[in-house]
Amino acid sequence: MRKYWSVFKISFEQEFAYRLNFILWRVRNVFQILLTYFLWSTVFSNPQTQIFGYDRAKILTYVFGIMIVRALVLSARAMDVSSDVARGDLSNYLLKPMSYFKYWFTRDISSKALNLIFAAVEFIALFVILRPPFFFQGSVVTLFVFLASIILAVLIYFFLLFLISSIPFWAPEIGWGSHFLVTVVIIEALSGSLFPINILPVGLQSIVMATPFPYLIYFPVEVYLGNIGGNALIGGLMVAAAWTGVLWLSLNFIWQKGLKVYQAIGR
Amino acid sequence: MVIGQKLALSVFLIGKIIRFIFFFGFLYFLLLGNTTLAGYTGNQVIFFFLTFNLIDVITQFLFREVYNFRPMIINGDFDLVLVKPISALFRVLMGGADVIDLITIPPLIILTIYFGILLHPSVLSTLYYVLLLANGFLIATAFHIIILSFAIVTLEIDHMVMIYRDLTSLGRLPIEIYGQPLQAFLTYLVPVGIMISLPAKAMMGLVGPAGILTALLVGAIALFIAFRFWNYALTKYSSASS
Repeated sequence: MRKYWSVFKISFEQEFAYRLNFILWRVRNVFQILLTYFLWSTVFSNPQTQIFGYDRAKILTYVFGIMIVRALVLSARAMDVSSDVARGDLSNYLLKPMSYFKYWFTRDISSKALNLIFAAVEFIALFVILRPPFFFQGSVVTLFVFLASIILAVLIYFFLLFLISSIPFWAPEIGWGSHFLVTVVIIEALSGSLFPINILPVGLQSIVMATPFPYLIYFPVEVYLGNIGGNALIGGLMVAAAWTGVLWLSLNFIWQKGLKVYQAIGR
Repeated sequence: MVIGQKLALSVFLIGKIIRFIFFFGFLYFLLLGNTTLAGYTGNQVIFFFLTFNLIDVITQFLFREVYNFRPMIINGDFDLVLVKPISALFRVLMGGADVIDLITIPPLIILTIYFGILLHPSVLSTLYYVLLLANGFLIATAFHIIILSFAIVTLEIDHMVMIYRDLTSLGRLPIEIYGQPLQAFLTYLVPVGIMISLPAKAMMGLVGPAGILTALLVGAIALFIAFRFWNYALTKYSSASS
């Protein structure tokens, strides 16, 4: 455990080695939130407006919720695994007396902790500047379920990142391309970062909800807002848990296959 | 081209197309339930989005080399560009086009023309649109020159480019959706509004001659500042590592 604590501390400090990069990355996050915030603020400019089951307070809470949930779920370092595999740097880690998965999971947690601190500051600053109506969740049970959905989301994202990063075992050239396709394009669109999934037609919604992506952002935020309850809540948690299991088993299978074809190219 | 490169290009091409379809679909479904956005109809909002894409994709196609500038500065390879009998700015700005965008540009132009026709513009409005679109490209060029100049002075470019892209992506939707002072910031200080929103508004007959002249003046000033900054940055080039 102590070695992972050391990895956590080193990884945390490493982020400060490139302070300008980190600050600019956070600035980019703020721009993305501004687009989403003002878009929905305009759509719900009339306080009486009710669309897709949201009122102004709930949709703007959804946008602010995205800031925190993104920092917790989508802040990760495990995308660098891809280049470790493609450039043969993976060999260095295979020789060390620690689990490669646990090493990257620890680094992810470190990144999430740092991003959460900054996201909280941005949250407060934007909240003071924009003064949106905000929905506070008072139910302790709902908050507990929200926390559980976040833990599942963190695991799903970690396994997804590792699965994508396994592609360079067979095709080193498309390491970054695969990440672009899945994390920049598909996850940005289908996780609920830009819009709640329930604005889509019912048929399309059902298809999207059967994938792991909405359980990263949309589902946790909806749980917080109290928009999901009863059977839908239990069903949603079960689907998220099932995806966590399926992705974990798939990762173990593919990673083992990948290690067998790994040639440490570049070493 | 080797199979790996073809595969990588295909993945990026698919990613870009999917991203476009997702946002387009999102706007479509959003405006199905809410017929106007900041007073603009569904077709008008889509036209704003298409105009943004047109400027974004064409500038990425032309100025892709900007993304490769940092290693040149870090390694000192920029020396080799400076000694050649060709404009160094032209070489680092337009030295390599992105072939993926060459595939996406024609269908994007067709879509823009299709949605433009749906707005029933007058001939004058169409002329204004083309003129302001050209002006938008000038402003985008100025932005890229400024980013290159920053790279020479600060050695930082990757995030600068991405921040430029994030700022311009705020122009995907009509600038009127943003509250003040963000709207003024995006119109005058970082002229995203003039670069992207104004051409689309001209097509809708919402811009008069005074607006056109102001936009052209902003474009000229932006380009002037960019060239001056580039000349200044060149005096700061340290030729590190060479």
